[in-house]
Amino acid sequence: MTVADISQPRREATWSRLWEKLTPYVYLSPFFLGFLAFMLIPIAFSLFLSLAQWDGMRPLQFIGLQNFIDLFSDKRFWNAFRVTMIITVTCTIVGPAGSLFLAVLLDKVGERIAGWLRAIFFLPSVTSAVVITYIWKQLYSADYGYFNAFLQQHGLPVQEWLKNPKLVVPAIMVMLIWAGLGWDALIFSAGLKTIPEDLYDQAKIDGAGDWAEFWHVTFPLLRPTLLFVLVTSVIFLLGIFAQIQLMTDGGPMHASETLSLYLYTSGFQYHKFGYASAIAVVLTIMMVVGSWLNFRFVRLEV
Amino acid sequence: MGRRQRIVKTGMVVLLCFFAIFYVFPYVWMMAMSLKPDGEIYTVNIFPQEPTLEQYKRLAFGYQFGPEYNLQYKYGAYYRNTIIVTVCSLVLVLFFDALAAYTFAKFKFRGKTVLFWTMIGTMMLPIYATIIPTFWLFSKLHLVNTYQAIILPAVVDAYGIFLLKQYMETIPDELLDAAKVDGAGAFRRFWQIVLPLSRPALGTLAIFRFIFVWNDYLFPLVMLRQESMYTLTIGIAQMQMRQGMVVWGVQMAASVLATVPVIILVMVMQRQFISGLMAGAFKA
Repeated sequence: MTVADISQPRREATWSRLWEKLTPYVYLSPFFLGFLAFMLIPIAFSLFLSLAQWDGMRPLQFIGLQNFIDLFSDKRFWNAFRVTMIITVTCTIVGPAGSLFLAVLLDKVGERIAGWLRAIFFLPSVTSAVVITYIWKQLYSADYGYFNAFLQQHGLPVQEWLKNPKLVVPAIMVMLIWAGLGWDALIFSAGLKTIPEDLYDQAKIDGAGDWAEFWHVTFPLLRPTLLFVLVTSVIFLLGIFAQIQLMTDGGPMHASETLSLYLYTSGFQYHKFGYASAIAVVLTIMMVVGSWLNFRFVRLEV
Repeated sequence: MGRRQRIVKTGMVVLLCFFAIFYVFPYVWMMAMSLKPDGEIYTVNIFPQEPTLEQYKRLAFGYQFGPEYNLQYKYGAYYRNTIIVTVCSLVLVLFFDALAAYTFAKFKFRGKTVLFWTMIGTMMLPIYATIIPTFWLFSKLHLVNTYQAIILPAVVDAYGIFLLKQYMETIPDELLDAAKVDGAGAFRRFWQIVLPLSRPALGTLAIFRFIFVWNDYLFPLVMLRQESMYTLTIGIAQMQMRQGMVVWGVQMAASVLATVPVIILVMVMQRQFISGLMAGAFKA
């Protein structure tokens, strides 16, 4: 036996220990590479682009905060902001309220029926926004739509659901609330199931009626679930795109144009990538603020 | 249960079923329109008087609406593209997410906390923050209008890693330590112990990703340029703009065929889907 033979096993041990140290990094590297390439770098580049002027072909020009200055004096931006806020605030209030009501009702009926009903209400959540939007577009169609045909048959005045600037946003909101009901109801159902039975029994013993029971037992314990639903609603609604673009493309005359649509149009139609990135920055900030506001509003103290 | 309570409960069931019928009407309408002949498309009848498969036939073989006008739909291509993109995304996402989740759940290493929380932070960001630069990146790599352009970004899925990590943390360390003592390397422990035990969470993740990628609109809209590469969502959307004509019947037929697979999938995996959704809402 020579010295070389003895040192051989030690060298192998060092290699295997090195490999053990490196393993987590190796396993994470595909994800990390993707994360870098499709998340971190794009976000940084977006921020950078928002401070520049670029049409994708001519050289990029750094212009500092000019995009934002232009944005805040842009009537079309404020219009889009208004439309986005109307949709987000209204649907975030009405949607989850309706879903909560639905979930409470479902909780009170038998489990078998509830299961079937939940599946029905859940259908829109697994259907493409494209399909949903087109079905409703047909229903709302002024000349060929079911709603107007139905109204006509009953002698009621026909409406231009999607062409009337006063009706178009409410029409879209009805569709959005319809589409989101099942998903939120399911989450509320999950939350409801965590409330212990004995609390309800205790409330009954104390003589609490249905409403008191809801307000003093159910609602406080649903706070975390409510927070989750509100935050996800706000983030989703601030960013809806397909539904608006396919239903009205922002029409008539920008009456239903949201920030997401204006972003898309600025970037991919007008090729104003810097400007579009500035809108993206604003939208992102709105989502963060929106989430934070919900946290304050729901106040997780039980 | 008292008599009054039973009446109230029955009342609620009736109310809910009534509401459910109205709720599901848009779907009934979609199916009905897809089975109506042209003459009936714009009538008020909910069910076709003379149901026909004409709309579906037009989807497959083309629509002859004039002596020289034959409108061909590349629906088969849309379906093929959607299947390819969805299946590839699923396989990649499941594998890489599981691997990353395993690493976060069962290993200690430098930078773990920073990396994990950065990842969580990006979960909150909208796709608009990244879509323009991502488009530019693929454009520079001449990968616009390819499958890769849609599949690759879908693989970066922080939600999935989060979900899987939570689940994997419940796998007892003793199990893995025993395997280590038996000489199993990290990958073998992953492949033979952690993965099989994580099947429920993987199933849930798979369903959610499937639905997301199958129904995605914005990404394919931005990345795909040629009709032969379109996915179902883009294809159906484009049908509206053909020749300035709105061909509702065919479009509804296309929609029905595009929606059915997802509905079947969810019905088959119903329990898993719902329990996964509820668990996810919890942890969040």
